[in-house]
Amino acid sequence: MDELFASLVKDFVDESKPIVQEISARVLELEGTWVAGGDGKALLRAIRGGLHTVKGNSAMMGLAPIERMAHALEDVCAHAGDLSPSQRSAEAQILLDGCDVLVGLIQSALGGDVDAHKADGFVERVRTLLEAPVSAFAQTEVRPVVANGSAVAAVDADETRGSARIEDRDVDELLELTGETIVGQTELLRLHNRLARGQFESGDVVLMDQVLTDLGRTARQMRHRLLRVRLAPIGTLFRRFGRYVRDLGRERGQSIELVIEGGETAVDRAIIGRLYEPLVHIVRNAVAHGIESAEERVARGKPAQAHIQLGARLREGRVQISVSDDGRGLDMKAIAAKAEAQGFDSASLGDRDMQRLIFQAGFSTATSVTNLAGRGVGLDVVASVVQSLGGGIDVDSTTGQGTVFTLDLPVTVSLQKALIFGVDSETFAVPAGFILDTMESREKDMQEINRVLLVSWRNDFVRAADAGRLLGCQGLAQAWTRPYAIVLQAGNKRGALLVDWLSGVQEIVVKPLDEILAGCRMIAGATVLGQGRVVPILDCIEVVRRANHTLAPERPAPLPAEENYHVF
Amino acid sequence: MSSEPMDSNGIARRRSEKHAAFLAFAEALLRASRGEQDPTSMDTRQFVTFFVRDHEFGIPILQCREIIRVSTITRIPESPAHVRGVVNLRGRVLPVVDMRKQLGFEALQPTSKARLLVVEAAGRAFALLVDRISRILKLSSAEIALATGDAPSTLVGNSLLGTARIEDSAILLFDIEQTLGAASSAAASTPKE
Repeated sequence: MDELFASLVKDFVDESKPIVQEISARVLELEGTWVAGGDGKALLRAIRGGLHTVKGNSAMMGLAPIERMAHALEDVCAHAGDLSPSQRSAEAQILLDGCDVLVGLIQSALGGDVDAHKADGFVERVRTLLEAPVSAFAQTEVRPVVANGSAVAAVDADETRGSARIEDRDVDELLELTGETIVGQTELLRLHNRLARGQFESGDVVLMDQVLTDLGRTARQMRHRLLRVRLAPIGTLFRRFGRYVRDLGRERGQSIELVIEGGETAVDRAIIGRLYEPLVHIVRNAVAHGIESAEERVARGKPAQAHIQLGARLREGRVQISVSDDGRGLDMKAIAAKAEAQGFDSASLGDRDMQRLIFQAGFSTATSVTNLAGRGVGLDVVASVVQSLGGGIDVDSTTGQGTVFTLDLPVTVSLQKALIFGVDSETFAVPAGFILDTMESREKDMQEINRVLLVSWRNDFVRAADAGRLLGCQGLAQAWTRPYAIVLQAGNKRGALLVDWLSGVQEIVVKPLDEILAGCRMIAGATVLGQGRVVPILDCIEVVRRANHTLAPERPAPLPAEENYHVF
Repeated sequence: MSSEPMDSNGIARRRSEKHAAFLAFAEALLRASRGEQDPTSMDTRQFVTFFVRDHEFGIPILQCREIIRVSTITRIPESPAHVRGVVNLRGRVLPVVDMRKQLGFEALQPTSKARLLVVEAAGRAFALLVDRISRILKLSSAEIALATGDAPSTLVGNSLLGTARIEDSAILLFDIEQTLGAASSAAASTPKE
């Protein structure tokens, strides 16, 4: 019985949290509508509808404090009929605060302990507000805004993990497909039994061919349906930033609007879950460094209200996520100065290449440490998170007009394109997103200077490492070079791997490895290829780093295996 | 496979012995999975025992999932010494823990008697590479003596459940969750570089 109740509570939490988050987003819209002079009747209706659902559900679960909270907030909405602008602002604030408290209470229901005092305190606040004369509204505004960590924004990726909602239609289709595999298996079994008795029949091969083709198709369809279950609209993630951007603006005494585009784009939940942190970072940077004060904006002929846009769209089977602001753009002078200080030849770099330097470790140009920026986490961390998801990041900034960050990601992480290669007797996979080029490595393209091995590639030299030595394969032949080279790019570093053979790029299903193998930094996961063979997938960021720190054996005479690679 | 001919009584008998042992294991596993212990006594626990070199070890049957033949083990570069690689178990990729290394012995090429004992603890699954599987033991708590000093040093102290004396041999009983938990946290904190 207890277990049943716990599972009901979990359902309630799973269902109610998104509703409250939706309500919170609607309240922000409502606030915008009010500022623009609209009455927001439709929005108010939607908000009340949502609150009513939460109230009903919590009553059913016997969670009285949550029920009382939802009821009080409904009262606030009912009260919203004809208020003055300042009253409306206070009302929106109390609704937002209420959503924060509600989310907290709902979450606490999982632990079985809902704080009734917290709910009653809030309900009391609502009562005073509603019963007090109109002037009391103005006072509530004095209450400090809980910014920069409001519960709604802070609810991290937890609902993107764990459970998934499946459409009935998908379940039906999956059941049907499972049925087809059983039919196929029965057919194969019948054939097998006949063959085992040595009873060949003409047409058996054709029949088996047919059955296998059908089974293959069915398996692909099942995978396709199941992958669909993994996807979720990215808008759920984007909408959380509505509150965050608003609060950041309020902190600076400025109005910043969040614009969302392409929120319906479907992306793997696993990716959505990992994108929250990087996006928070970029958005926070945009507000801290990019957006000018209202006065400055007006002086430059821009609208006083600043805009931050979160966009998503599908392009060539990948999803592109953009974060743009209409602020002052990147400080190119500061970047150039920093570049010079770090030994780059800033004169030889184009504008875009110079801008991309901000993804380098230790390249923060912020001069003051404020609440918004300077927390010690740089854009290089953002870039490596994006890359670990199989994606890339780029920036494009126009002085005086704003900055656009673009994240290019696969739609799903569990399915990746990868190149399969072999070295000595072992086989590995490299995610295609890191591969710049593959080529035959001819002796004349190789150079060795002080045991640093270089391979020439497009009028440039790339540091190369023997894959067999780097990956510790037990090779028989200790050749100085290998037939092929794979040129990799991870972050802004390049490196080449010398390998024995290459096979084509194919789609692989990525399987994580147990944490007992966490120390294997060069391996990101594994995949299962034909005949059930397990193939490790390289972590290209680490492999490229190692390739750039590996010393090759001196040219003609090979060295014993142990001394062949050094890691710093 | 069932249609293979039996060409001598010897093979048939050996087969039926194997069959009976398998059935006993399956039955015990089934009972364990239902949370039932041996119905005759409240106080017995069951262990799957195996050999590493000439030592017999046992782990609680509740932590065992299945026993499979040694298939191709894929090496993972820079894995800790006691992790031999990974295997594919019906699409799942499991780390193979070499029990010889785990218990402080030298690794050896597996023989035809070697098996992978698939264990699951705390939501994680592993394949333990053992020299051979021995038996299923029912032990009452009176038969389990507390740990003695002769336990191999790499067996982390608190993972040892005790020892059992059966006839003349001592069987070391341990909790695989504890052993592997300690092993993997050690692996994570001192990555081989």
